[in-house]
Amino acid sequence: MTTARFGGHLRISRTFLLRVVFGSIGAGVALFLVYLAGVFGVYDLGYALYLLPPRGRALTTGLITTLGFMVVVMPLGFGLGFAFGWARTSRAWPARAVATTYVEFFRGMPPIVLIAFAFLITIVVFRGNDRIDIFALATGAGVMALAAHSGAYQAEIIRAGILSVPTGQIEAAEAVGMSRGTILARITLPQMFRISLPALGNEFASLIKDTSLLSTIGALDLTFQGKNLSAVLAVGGGNLDLVIIIWAEIAFLYFVITFVVSRALQAIERRFRVPGLEAAQL
Amino acid sequence: MITVRNLHKWFGELHVLKGVSLEVKKGEALVIIGPSGSGKSTLLRCINLLVQPDEGDVIIDGVKVNDPKIRPEWVRQQVGMVFQSFNLFTHLTALQNVMIGLTKVKRLPRPEAERIARFELDRVGLADKADAYPAQLSGGQQQRVAIARALALNPKAMLFDEPTSALDPEYIREVLDVMTKLAEEGMTMVVVTHEMGFAHNVADRVLFMAEGVVVEEGAPEEIFERPQKDRTKAFVGKILG
Repeated sequence: MTTARFGGHLRISRTFLLRVVFGSIGAGVALFLVYLAGVFGVYDLGYALYLLPPRGRALTTGLITTLGFMVVVMPLGFGLGFAFGWARTSRAWPARAVATTYVEFFRGMPPIVLIAFAFLITIVVFRGNDRIDIFALATGAGVMALAAHSGAYQAEIIRAGILSVPTGQIEAAEAVGMSRGTILARITLPQMFRISLPALGNEFASLIKDTSLLSTIGALDLTFQGKNLSAVLAVGGGNLDLVIIIWAEIAFLYFVITFVVSRALQAIERRFRVPGLEAAQL
Repeated sequence: MITVRNLHKWFGELHVLKGVSLEVKKGEALVIIGPSGSGKSTLLRCINLLVQPDEGDVIIDGVKVNDPKIRPEWVRQQVGMVFQSFNLFTHLTALQNVMIGLTKVKRLPRPEAERIARFELDRVGLADKADAYPAQLSGGQQQRVAIARALALNPKAMLFDEPTSALDPEYIREVLDVMTKLAEEGMTMVVVTHEMGFAHNVADRVLFMAEGVVVEEGAPEEIFERPQKDRTKAFVGKILG
């Protein structure tokens, strides 16, 4: 809905933002496919990094890897969360049953265990296949496992958001003759997002740091680089000052990433703000 | 305009409507009164199929609408509804609330929809509140926007479900005034209300319901001044104090 001409409360329309949100899910899927292309040896980014000094190279590699995980795992997790959260509120019981099973399964296990399972199962399934980079493929499976874990949490956030839209809103929309699809797109979703965004922001912030769990399967992310450099420095006579500095650098990078994402989500929250419905200023 | 014949509705074991029949002629205002739990709201919701009747007929302008071949969305465009708790879309401005049915249901072009919406807001005296969000409006203003939202679709009849029950006393008048004007303009209306003054002055007929059946029906003065049935007498006595 074009809101620009009705007073100055909203400059960007919510429909546009919804497109951005769902566009980002598509982007996540696309990036994952790009990653898979790397797995199948279509391109090789690694060479350029060898021009950097070792510590800079390690941290840059780590940063790129962590950012890569993030841009895949956040939209994928959101896509899964949205789909299953919506299914949890469905009138059709099979949809509810599938979604509930999904949520209980992935929420009930530590992400680190899910990642290990996904990684190892992929290794076992593709063992002996020398045309593809099995390690990278298995890492991708670990990424999917993390997205599925976060998706289970996000599904509950989405479900709570949908349930918080008063039934009177739906009834009024029905009374003006809207179809179910129109009600979902025009009435339920915009109100659900307004309510769910703070909780989703929380989940994203937590998820960014959970990508560090992928270091346990040998992914070259920031956390892996930290562990690796620490080990190397410990062997070389124990330069603990430098180890602390490296971990501080890594912590700073995680903080910056999380901060930027939180601010972006707050900007989206502001766009969904409804005059007169702001929280009370205590 | 609206004919209801032998309507039954169960919610599980609960038999809410037990064979209700009524007739509203074009341009007529029918007021339904009765104690809470008597099935008044359910009856209104059966007329625009927000609730699917289990038995009986709902006929609007000669068309039997509780028929699998008829899309409920179509029926709801024929009959406007106003709710006790307004139910304005909280994330949309007053103008957008009135426009959304025109753009998303009737698929009118935006300028046309906006023209109609501004006209309807003006009709309920809220042309200057077009850009306000529901949370910025008083209850009375919200309910008038809700009336404009229903009127914008140019319905054949309007259903009012206790439109003033959730209002602070000082806002009741402005809503009733809008409804009175509508009735005078010849809108076909079915109004569930406890506003006996409105029923007395505006209704062409009053229908008293209790426990899912129509107990008594007649001109306002007959029901209020010379009720025939004991239950009507008891209810009217309580309400008029």
